[in-house]
Parts: sequence; structure tokens; C-alpha cells
Amino acid sequence: MNIKNNVTVALFMLIMLFPAFSGCGKKHEEVTKVSYRLKWLFNASVAGDIYADANGYFKKEGLEVEVKEGGPERDAIKELEMGHAQFGVASADQVIRAVSKGSPVVVLAQLFQANPLQWIYRPDENKIERPEDMKGKVVGITFGGNDETIMRALLAKYGIKENEVNFFSVRYDYTPFYERKVALWPVYRNAQGIIIGDKLKKAGESAAFFDPDTSGIRFVANSVITTEIMIKEHPETVKKFISALLKAWNEALKPDNSDKTVETIQKFDKDTSPDVIRRQLDITRQFMKPSEKTVFGAIDVAAWKQTESIMLEQKLIPAPVDIEKRLKMEYNRQ
Amino acid sequence: MLHKRLYQFVLVYFIGLAFLFTVKEVFNLSDYVIPGLPDIYGTVRRVFTRYLLDVLNTLSVAIVGHILSIALATVVGIIGRLSNWMGSLIRTAAFNVQAYPIVAVAPMIFILLGDGLSSRLLIAAMICYFPLLLSFIGILSEPVTDIEHFYVHSGRMRWQLEVKIRAFENMNKLITVVAGSATLAMVGTIVSEFIGASAGIGYSIRIALYQSDLSKILVALFLIGIFTSLYLAVLELLGNIVSRSWGEKEA
Repeated sequence: MNIKNNVTVALFMLIMLFPAFSGCGKKHEEVTKVSYRLKWLFNASVAGDIYADANGYFKKEGLEVEVKEGGPERDAIKELEMGHAQFGVASADQVIRAVSKGSPVVVLAQLFQANPLQWIYRPDENKIERPEDMKGKVVGITFGGNDETIMRALLAKYGIKENEVNFFSVRYDYTPFYERKVALWPVYRNAQGIIIGDKLKKAGESAAFFDPDTSGIRFVANSVITTEIMIKEHPETVKKFISALLKAWNEALKPDNSDKTVETIQKFDKDTSPDVIRRQLDITRQFMKPSEKTVFGAIDVAAWKQTESIMLEQKLIPAPVDIEKRLKMEYNRQ
Repeated sequence: MLHKRLYQFVLVYFIGLAFLFTVKEVFNLSDYVIPGLPDIYGTVRRVFTRYLLDVLNTLSVAIVGHILSIALATVVGIIGRLSNWMGSLIRTAAFNVQAYPIVAVAPMIFILLGDGLSSRLLIAAMICYFPLLLSFIGILSEPVTDIEHFYVHSGRMRWQLEVKIRAFENMNKLITVVAGSATLAMVGTIVSEFIGASAGIGYSIRIALYQSDLSKILVALFLIGIFTSLYLAVLELLGNIVSRSWGEKEA
């Protein structure tokens, strides 16, 4: 390779690497334009996030926030590290896995105080009042999903051997449940739970939900996250963002504000009827703010520790991660 | 031929891996985003045998699906080469149906046939069938005037002879199309497993994605690449044998 070629290659490398190192040595200024990657599609589960955006809560704090819809293949933690987003929503198992692999992710607020993942069943045909009642039943789980982790933790806690329950691999299609091939099917109680319950009701059947939380399995669901670097370099932005977000969530969940919240969600989730959204919102409220006294966004450290120990027992992480060090309690005290 | 395909794949794979490691270093990313070498090595030790069996499972379905597609495309291609209304209908249907994305059709297949072997086979066959069919129709409906006119004028032309002449004259094209569609059969099987089945490497990739485990996906990609290269090499070998034996017959 001649000198001219070498110079061309060196220049090319310099141009490619410039964005990565362009921040070196600079004093970090607060940013006003940030991206917020949600965990799931726009629906009642993200009521406060879209409420904040639509009703100018971020603007009042001087922030321009792009609220990005999530989805099954989206991972907010990866986007934070890549710089595609500055804030995001992730489930506790995602956070713990990421921390165990060296990710600088931190938790700012816990959205759900109880995990909305439950199992729907027909109470007329199956009486499931305690975990032991699942023995001999066909139970749907998403292999690799957190419903598998929760179910295995539940079985282990109650000394139920895995061969005493028949697992069925669950996908998007509910037909095996409708056809009674599967007795218990995992659903998000505040989302699909209502829609499937309605379908059963239409067919003259009743629906009930088995909640692992009531049997002592505390597996944390979605939380608001950012990175340690973001807190260190842009502390004011983080404070403003979380303050606006929590205010918006509190307003969105107020029963008196239901009409406004439903209207806001409807603008983003056009496929769901206002009646269903209203019922989804009512149940979401129970999981996020179970009582008037509940501080929205409060981080339940004990539940996080239990989530970590469940993952450790199931060898989903190789060693303890001391997750409590990543829980930033100072941002969610209101 | 075999070793050439394999080392070409291994070279491309490791260039890709090197690119990922460069990005990881430049942007200081954690193992959660891009795994490091120790993480990948640990994953290889844990899942290699299981993933190997999964890939073999997927490959076997892909091969059966591929054979079915070739057989069906040959039959339909022979009918579709005709210039009558039946041929026209088949050509139009083939063009239209292949425009549907398989991810939209697959859920219906899984609802109707369940998440077993038949759904995987059908989706694999569908993905590689339509490109094969269009190529077969194109090749078989193109007259080889130099040879055909003799049989036409002497009144000895039959449809079997016409197909034979056109296939023989375009043997290299046919072999290329068949070998090329092998990759599609493999992709089709993996897509079907990813969407709805409960076995095969596509299913394992889906679980790995649920667990945000890129190491597992890298191991899966390596094995998929190796076995797809092997299958392609075997097909090319078979193609050479067929070409040679047809050439000898003609001589």
C-alpha cells in the first residue's frame, strides 16, 4: 500500500471515529432534546408516558422529548448504550441481565408496584386458588420469557415438580386456550386480560386470573431507566425528565382525569375502543398506584432483590449483581 | 468446492465478528449489547451441542421443503409455460401470491396446522417455491428455436420433448436457481420456527432474543452458516454430476 492509500485510510478512520471521541475533554452541558424508548406499544400501560408528551409536561421543564413506541424486538437498554435514547422503560429481568453483563443502566422509578403478568383460566372448569391446584394441568408459558421465570419460581417455592405440570409453549395465537388444550394462559392482566376475558364472556364463559404475586412471587415488571453516565453528565436533565414524567403519571392515573387520559391514549392507540381503554386504565391503576398512599414510581427494593435471587436460582445470571446499588431512590420521592 | 464454500463463510463470519468487536471497543459497549470473547466462549460450551441438533433439525425440514418445492415448481412450471388461459392464470397467480409477506400468512398457517412439522415444512416450501416457480416458468416457456423447429416441422414434437429440450439447454440456469433457492428454504424454515414453531434453530433464536443473549445468536448464526454452506456445496456437486451425465448422454 502506498503513502497516498495510507493517508486515505487514516483520514477515513478519523472521520468514522470522530463522532465517538468528539465529546472527549468537553465540559458536559445539559441537554434539552432527549429520546425515551418505551417497552411496549402505545396502550393503557404507557398512559402516563404519552400523557406527559401530549399535555406538555416535558415542555414545561424545558425538555423536548421524543417518546418512542416499544415492541417485542425493542430493547431500551441497548438503545441507551448505543446513544439512540437517553431514557427508557425496561423490565427488571432485563435490567438485572444487563447489569450482570456490565451495562451502566440504572433505575429511576418503578412503574408497576405489582407485576401485571397473570394466568387466565376458566373457573367453571378449573379451580385454581393456590399453586398446588395447577398440578396435572396444562400451563402455558413463553419459553425464554419472564412468565417462564415466574412460573418456575412459583413451582420451586411450593415444591411442585416440573413433571407434575404440563408446560405448553405459548405464542401470539390464543387458539389453544380457546380450544381448551391449555388450562392456564399467561396474559398481561391490564392489557390482553381484558380483551380475552371479553371474548370468553361473549361465548358465555367466565374468566378468572391466577396471580403469582398473591402466592409470594414478587417479580418486578417495568421501570424507568437511564445510564450512570447520563446521571453524571446531565444531572439536571435527568431530574427534569423524571419530575415531569412522574407528575404526568400521577395526573394520568387520577380517577377524576380518566376521560382526559382515555382520550389521550385513544389518539395513539386507535385500534382499541375507548371502553376497553377505560377498563385497561382502571386495572393499570391498581398495579401502579394500588392505594392513595402509594407513591407513584416508588422502588420496591425487597421485590428487586427477590427478582435477582429468582434469576440467580434459575441460573439466568451467573453471579449476584447487588441490584440495590442500581436503584436510584432519590428520583422518585415526591 | 466444499472447502472453498466453508472457508469463504468462516472468513465472512469472522470479519463480521471483528466488526462487532471494533464497535464494542470504540463505543465502550457492555457485554449486554455486544458480548465479549469470554462470554461467547462460555456460551459455545453451554449450547453448542443443543444448537447443533437444532440446526440439523432445521436443515432436515429445509431439505424436505426444498425437494417438495422443486417437484411442485417443475409440475406447475410445465403447465405454466403454456400460452393458453391455464398457463396465464398460473403465471398471474404465482406473481401475485409471492407478493404476500410470509409473516402475514404464517400466523394463519400455524392456526390451521398447529406448531408442528407440517407448518414449518409448508412455510419453508412457500418461501423457496415462488422464486423457483417463476424461474422455471421463464426457462420452460422460452423456445429453443434452433432445435425445436426440426421436431415441430417433422411433426414429432410432444410436450415431454419440448420440456426436455428447454431444460437441457438451460441446465446451468436451472442448477443455479435450485442451488440459490436452497438458502431460501433454510431461511423459510428458520422464519417459520421463529414465528410459531416449537423446535429448530429459529425457535432457539427466539428464546435467545427473549433473553437478550447475543452470544447465543452468534453461535446459532455460525452453525446456520456452516450447514447452509454445506448444503449449497452438495447441491452444486449434484448439479455438476447431472450436467456431466446429460452431456455424456448427448454425446
